[in-house]
Amino acid sequence: MLKKRLIFTLLYNQGSFMLSRNFRLQKVGNLKWLQTNYDFSHISFSIDELIVLDIARGERDTQAFCEMLKALTEGCFVPIAAGGGIRTVEHARSLLRSGADKVVVNTALYDNRELTADLASEFGQQCVVASMDVKHQREGGYQVMVDNGARRLSGTAEHWIEQVVNDSVGELYLNSIDRDGTGQGYDLRMLDLLPTSMSKPVILAGGVGNSTHLAEGLADARIDAVATAHLFNFVGDGLRQARNALIGGGVELPQWDLRQLDDILGKQQAGVTA
Amino acid sequence: MGNIWSVVNALRYLGSLVHVSGDPKEVAAADALLLPGVGSFRKAMLSLEMSGLDQAILEAVQGKGRKILGICLGMQLLGTRGSEDGDTRGLGLVANPVDRFAIGEIGANKIPHIGFDVVHSKPGSVLFSGLSETADFYFVHSYRMLSRGLIGTAATCTYGVEFLAAYEQGNIFATQFHPEKSQTNGLMLLRNFLAE
Repeated sequence: MLKKRLIFTLLYNQGSFMLSRNFRLQKVGNLKWLQTNYDFSHISFSIDELIVLDIARGERDTQAFCEMLKALTEGCFVPIAAGGGIRTVEHARSLLRSGADKVVVNTALYDNRELTADLASEFGQQCVVASMDVKHQREGGYQVMVDNGARRLSGTAEHWIEQVVNDSVGELYLNSIDRDGTGQGYDLRMLDLLPTSMSKPVILAGGVGNSTHLAEGLADARIDAVATAHLFNFVGDGLRQARNALIGGGVELPQWDLRQLDDILGKQQAGVTA
Repeated sequence: MGNIWSVVNALRYLGSLVHVSGDPKEVAAADALLLPGVGSFRKAMLSLEMSGLDQAILEAVQGKGRKILGICLGMQLLGTRGSEDGDTRGLGLVANPVDRFAIGEIGANKIPHIGFDVVHSKPGSVLFSGLSETADFYFVHSYRMLSRGLIGTAATCTYGVEFLAAYEQGNIFATQFHPEKSQTNGLMLLRNFLAE
């Protein structure tokens, strides 16, 4: 039986990793900070998947992002998705050559639907993650926001979700702008926006503050994976502890034995040609 | 689907000297071979044939007894034939063909089979040495080789139907899953392959 997933999302902006709260950004530290203070090489053994997004508001330096991605994913042995501002197949290809297994597309899902089809035919549909940022409206209902939450799409969120999941995407990353970075827990009411015959995996994001919130998300049968992008809520040993709490609580997450790492690295190897 | 960078990354992490090569001479001379896969069965096989790598691999594995590990499509290419993108002959190092998951056999499951799933290994397997008989590994595939009647089945996975998850017979090793994406379970398996 396929296992559920715990995903860590890293937000990157011009050389720094960021905290986001309702899409307002705060600089935290660079790659060196992440590796030393956050012990990322250790954290990466407590997650099932990594997502890295370039959320720069202005011009993006794709080459610098790719260099960071390569360095970041060196000791990381899980599937990796990367994205942020993807507008061309070549841009996606450069991410896939820098350690990514999948690409994350957001604004182009609506502005340039041909790109979604091109990415799927070039790399396979399973390679395309559709990221949608959703905001609750005062007058009720939800709407989809694009361009890093700056532009509102007319029409209901239900309409756009249905269109996107029927396009050539492999899975849906559904993020709540209202809960983003608040630590108040997921907005599970967003799940009612999904089509009833949803046939693609759904990743829920936005609002996690503790492992109970992760468990609440994973308990919903419509959810395949939960994500957190908060750099401080699970700092230190937090993700490992949250993972153990979920597994202890009966959630079907993949399991491995971290104690084997010393054993694995202890042996000398011969050369090999790949 | 086939991310060579990740495989190289994992092998280097384990302390191996890795060289990525498309040169038949280098491949024929290697101590050990690792065959990842990119694209469809047909395209990958044609590209091996065009570059002469198919013969170089057979020479290294059958002629010189060098060990080989095929991963994902790389495992499928070791089979007798594949039906992806039109029926194509494989390298023939593993005795079964490769076909798409049939709607009838997978029930309500979705294609592709994607994510961490439970792999059941046979006692005494080299690849799974030190791992428990059920361990989680990461899969991404729409085509499968059945394990039924196959000598050399090292592990199976069930996705509506039981299929070949890992193979080992003499110097020939293969996994349908991605060990380089399967945390310490995958690193253990790669180390076992390298140490064999």
